[in-house]
Amino acid sequence: MSFTEILFYVFSAVLVVSALGVITARNPVYSALWLVFAFFNSAIIWMLLEAEFLAIILILVYVGAVMVLFLFVVMMLDIKVEELRAGFTRYAWLGLPIALLVIGEIGSVVWVKSQDDKALGLSSVASPAAYAADYSNTKALGQLLYTEYLYPLQLAASILLIAIVAAIVLTMRKRSGQKVQDIGAQISVKAKDRVRIVKVAAVQPETGNTVEGQS
Amino acid sequence: MENTLLVIVLAPLIAAILAGIFGRFIGRAGAHTVTILGVATACVLSILTLKQLVTGEAQNYYGNLYTWLVSDGVQMNVGFMVDRLTAMMMVVVTFVSLCVHVYTIGYMADDPGYQRFFSYISLFTFSMLMLVMSNNFMQLFFGWEAVGVVSYLLIGFWYTRPTAIFANLKAFLVNRVGDFGFVLGIAAVLYYTGSLDYREVFAAAHHAFAGKTMEIIPGYAWDAITVTCLLLFVGAMGKSAQMPLHVWLPDSMEGPTPISALIHAATMVTAGIFMVARMSPLFEMSETALNTVLIIGSCTAFFMGLLGLVNNDIKRVVAYSTLSQLGYMTVALGVSAYAGAVFHLMTHAFFKALLFLAAGSVIIGMHHEQDMRKMGNLRKYMPITYWTCLIGSLALIGFPGTSGFFSKDALIEAVSESHLPAARFAYYCVLSGVFITAFYSFRLVFMTFHGKERFDTSEAAHAHDSHAVADKHDDHTHGHDDHSHDDHAHDDHGHHGGVPHESPWVVTLPLVLLAIPSLFIGWFTIGPMLFGDYFGSAIVVEESHNVLGELAHEFHGSAGFVEHGITQLPFFLAMGGVFFAWLFYVKLTDVPGKIASAFSPLYKLFENKYFFDDVYFAVFAKGSRNLGQALWKVGDSIFIDGLLVNGSARAVGWFASVIRGIQTGRLYSYAFTMIIGLAVTLGWFVLHWLR
Amino acid sequence: MSANLNFVVAYPEIFVLTAACVILLVDLFVSDRQRIVTFLLTMVSLLAAAFITVQYGVAERVITFHGTYVADPMGTVLKLSTYGATALSLLYSREYLQRRGLFKGEYFVLALFAMLGVMVMISAASLLTIYLGVELLSLSLYGLVAFDRDNGIAAESAMKYFVLGAIASGMLLYGMSMIYGVTGTLELSQIANRIPGIGLNSLGLAFGLAFLVVGVAFKFGAVPFHMWVPDVYHGAPTAVTLFVGSAPKIASFALAMRLLVDGLGGAVEQWRPMLVVLAVLSMAIGNVVAIAQTNIKRMLAYSTISHVGFILLGVLAGTVQGYQAAMFYTLTYVLTAVGSFGVILLLSRQGFESDALDDFKGLAKKSPWFASVMAMLIFSTAGVPPFVGFTAKLAVIQAIIGIGYTWLAGVAVFFSVIGAYYYIRVVKLMYFDAPVDNGPIQAGVALRTVLSANGLAVLALGLLPGLLLDLCARVIS
Repeated sequence: MSFTEILFYVFSAVLVVSALGVITARNPVYSALWLVFAFFNSAIIWMLLEAEFLAIILILVYVGAVMVLFLFVVMMLDIKVEELRAGFTRYAWLGLPIALLVIGEIGSVVWVKSQDDKALGLSSVASPAAYAADYSNTKALGQLLYTEYLYPLQLAASILLIAIVAAIVLTMRKRSGQKVQDIGAQISVKAKDRVRIVKVAAVQPETGNTVEGQS
Repeated sequence: MENTLLVIVLAPLIAAILAGIFGRFIGRAGAHTVTILGVATACVLSILTLKQLVTGEAQNYYGNLYTWLVSDGVQMNVGFMVDRLTAMMMVVVTFVSLCVHVYTIGYMADDPGYQRFFSYISLFTFSMLMLVMSNNFMQLFFGWEAVGVVSYLLIGFWYTRPTAIFANLKAFLVNRVGDFGFVLGIAAVLYYTGSLDYREVFAAAHHAFAGKTMEIIPGYAWDAITVTCLLLFVGAMGKSAQMPLHVWLPDSMEGPTPISALIHAATMVTAGIFMVARMSPLFEMSETALNTVLIIGSCTAFFMGLLGLVNNDIKRVVAYSTLSQLGYMTVALGVSAYAGAVFHLMTHAFFKALLFLAAGSVIIGMHHEQDMRKMGNLRKYMPITYWTCLIGSLALIGFPGTSGFFSKDALIEAVSESHLPAARFAYYCVLSGVFITAFYSFRLVFMTFHGKERFDTSEAAHAHDSHAVADKHDDHTHGHDDHSHDDHAHDDHGHHGGVPHESPWVVTLPLVLLAIPSLFIGWFTIGPMLFGDYFGSAIVVEESHNVLGELAHEFHGSAGFVEHGITQLPFFLAMGGVFFAWLFYVKLTDVPGKIASAFSPLYKLFENKYFFDDVYFAVFAKGSRNLGQALWKVGDSIFIDGLLVNGSARAVGWFASVIRGIQTGRLYSYAFTMIIGLAVTLGWFVLHWLR
Repeated sequence: MSANLNFVVAYPEIFVLTAACVILLVDLFVSDRQRIVTFLLTMVSLLAAAFITVQYGVAERVITFHGTYVADPMGTVLKLSTYGATALSLLYSREYLQRRGLFKGEYFVLALFAMLGVMVMISAASLLTIYLGVELLSLSLYGLVAFDRDNGIAAESAMKYFVLGAIASGMLLYGMSMIYGVTGTLELSQIANRIPGIGLNSLGLAFGLAFLVVGVAFKFGAVPFHMWVPDVYHGAPTAVTLFVGSAPKIASFALAMRLLVDGLGGAVEQWRPMLVVLAVLSMAIGNVVAIAQTNIKRMLAYSTISHVGFILLGVLAGTVQGYQAAMFYTLTYVLTAVGSFGVILLLSRQGFESDALDDFKGLAKKSPWFASVMAMLIFSTAGVPPFVGFTAKLAVIQAIIGIGYTWLAGVAVFFSVIGAYYYIRVVKLMYFDAPVDNGPIQAGVALRTVLSANGLAVLALGLLPGLLLDLCARVIS
């Protein structure tokens, strides 16, 4: 077992534990933080696979942007933790056996693999050779994305576009009676619309100090 | 060629759709214009096609246009096979149909179902063309059933009359019997040859049927080809009204007269004859089948002719004569003189359509009176109808030189040449048939057009259809009934009285048009059709049955045939028939009554049409009703309704409500179901793989 | 791997994407009252897309974009049908949307993107493109289902659809990663080449396959992955239900064809038993539970599930004949389903959905013609000759008898008979019951005409199935 493999197993173990933490933590904020931790570990595993760009992007995008947003949302919403928990134990008797069954099934595959490496079929594909030290992952990715994966890239862009459109359609609303700024109206306003200069006749001093009383 | 054929078929169909669905928009004139245009197009193109085929400009057409479906390797196509046999049928069908279309303008002039009628007869033309032009059994069957449906609709055209409804139901049911046999026959063909295509079937027939037997009743092996041919012939018996499946045809006269002419005389009823001629390669392989055909044909020809002697309804007399003539054609089929049968079919189509239309003209003239006892001396009032009817009758009895003479004489000679065991019986039947035919035909002519005027002229009023003939009223010399049309809007078909008058030109024109071929067509066509090679490969005859081939040695042109004909027995028999008809119905008018009372049991037998109807009612109609009643009470109410239907419905309903409970509407239970599904799927794989 | 980028064969996708973006922009400058412009523009785009698809249709299979895109005659026909289904559903929906204040430009943009997703799936040549197509379609559909956002039921069903769809996508992706791990390629044609080398006994392959089949089954809505179907059909606005029931069904068929046949055709012995179970369960649950429904949209949802069983039967046959039958079934089913929902839309009015079975009572008295159109559609769905549904069922059953699964054919027929009960109940309600609702039909001429044509097409195709059967036979061989 090489050093890299040891590292892989350590980080994988931490990743599994943190993933368990996401779904078992009582407080949603903790869950989100466990998830951040899980992302970090995934990034490291990617690093082990010589995929530096993906690793960094994962941290930048998911940890830096998505999870922060997520934490804001979780913190701002008033979630009653106890209500969420209630179903968890109530249906555990039903969910647990199924979970165990799936784990057993996947486990059996792993077990069989350890008996006979050929069975999983992984050995039929040769492991890729390590790249030279000056190999740029980012450059390779960029080259691939805009040549070989041009079509999927465009599709992914379309998916993002439609996600934006759908999100806006479902949330943008114009309620009547709502007090919002109409920036266009504010900017296009002219001085003469707002300021009216009224000529007021000069008040004669002999009437006395009765302005308040008249109004 | 293909496009021409498509136009021929589709023109009447499109016209039928236009007149039927959009009849209300295009109006009466629109309906008859569009249908007549459609049929006229088909007719002209058919004639062109025939001409091309005869002169050799075009080859026989054979092709599939559309594959309707393929089931287990069996192709069901829509396709055409046009050889000279088909082309001749096409011309006959479209020409008679065209005449009938024109005639209908006058006959149905003030019927409320005017557009519907035109739509139906155009639809009929389409169906009949599909039938004759087909290149496979499936399309043949389609056409076969389609003409049946239209016939059903037209017999019951006046659907408010109970008798019409009864008649169309009867026609429908009796035809079912025939069609059942026909379908079984097609199935047998398919079973043995593996194809529905004419060309393939005929090519494979010799090999496929040779020596094959089938056991329908265990222990009795029957020749496969005989059974197949007999089953097909059962179909022909139904459609062409051969004994004992003839009972529907006389009743079908409940329909309007134009369709009696078109469908129940000239075209549809001859479909059976056409079909057997088309199947000649099959029928030639079984002498048993040919003998059966021969016997059934002879019985029909003889016994149905006899019934014509006693009937007084002008249309029914013509109907029985149609039955008898169909019998003649069947006899010709039986002796393998297929060309003779088809030749007689053609001439018969012209003169029988003519007779029916003339009868219709008389019926119009008599204000819907059909009883010949109430007519007489109509010659004076309806000269065109009289002369054309006379021509038709002369053709029917086979007066030398007319078209009927050539076909019928040739047919009788063919029977006399045949060596089949049943040929002698058939020969006597057809010979005596000649006398009978002549007798009843001229009985009709004399009773209707000669003798005393037996109609009641004292009454000024008459039936509504005076509107139909309004344009002829100007020629009316009998001033004593000055019609005021407004008074006669009432719909009284049974009404009689008034003075007969000649029909309008739209009625008489078709009569004249049909009279021409009735007189002359035999003269020109007998040579090539009967003794030449007109039909080519369309009709196949074994050398040992080739009666027409033997006759051909003695044939020396049409004139020679006429010369030969007037020295033969059939001519004298026919003349004898005419003489006796003249004697009994012009000279000694009280004799028929005396004869009737003298032979009263026989007369009763004729009156009741050999009791066929009564037996059918007692046995089949009553029997099946009782059976149905019993099955309904025991099988349906108790077993099926009670146990199976309601029981299973309740079980399913219970099951449904249980499963419905699973659809809780809760998201996690849905997700959970999916996970279970996944787990089970995975588990199945793991188990499968570990084993 | 074809190195060159052949843009020509992808013109339809490029055009639809461009058109959708253009419509999105144009819609910004159109006032609410002129919203019809967006609608017409969408229709014109569909027509133009059809023209382009025919114009640049290929006669042979062409793979391009480095093995991510495939163009073949089957794809051309499926795409054309997709345009047709989309056009029909938008046409039927127009008035319904207008009456409910849902007639917005984004509706058409979402629909066009959903259609683009369908097209991508139809033309997918690699696992990656399949997945992207699935996501594009799904996201657009989630948006459409929730489109009537003030409607609680719609929002709820959209939420369910979204969560369940996410789970299914996860499974699909997991299965794809397994397959990728085993074969080392994303390209379907390469996967097909490498399967014999790996051997069918590879458990990794089997595992991946299991997950993939689950994903496909979810997209189809096959039991037990069908739970979303009734809720979404019921909850979504009828116009959206109509859309969900039309083009995406073609996508599901394409998904199955690309993934299971093009890619994993060599492992047919492995996935056939799974599909048998799915098909039998779908036909059983779909037909039986439909009986207990009182809402016609829900009933049609269960009916869809049972029809999915039939489509799966055709696919599981694993023969060319079976694929042809499945394709014929899919196309004709979509035509019939679109018509059935169209009738519901036709009868709906302001504030009246006409989606309860009782709303169909006495329709024959109110509108004999549309009652007969509905009857034709219903009879076709039930598989009564001479309507096209019969031919489709017949073709599928022939296909499975062809591989010797006669018992399965028996099961299919048995459940069809059960299904006939609830279909014909609709006819009974229309013709023999007294009307409950007496409101007039408000639909316009366009809807009436097209819907009538749709009903007659079901009859015409049933009488002359040869044209479409021939087409299916020509493009799958």
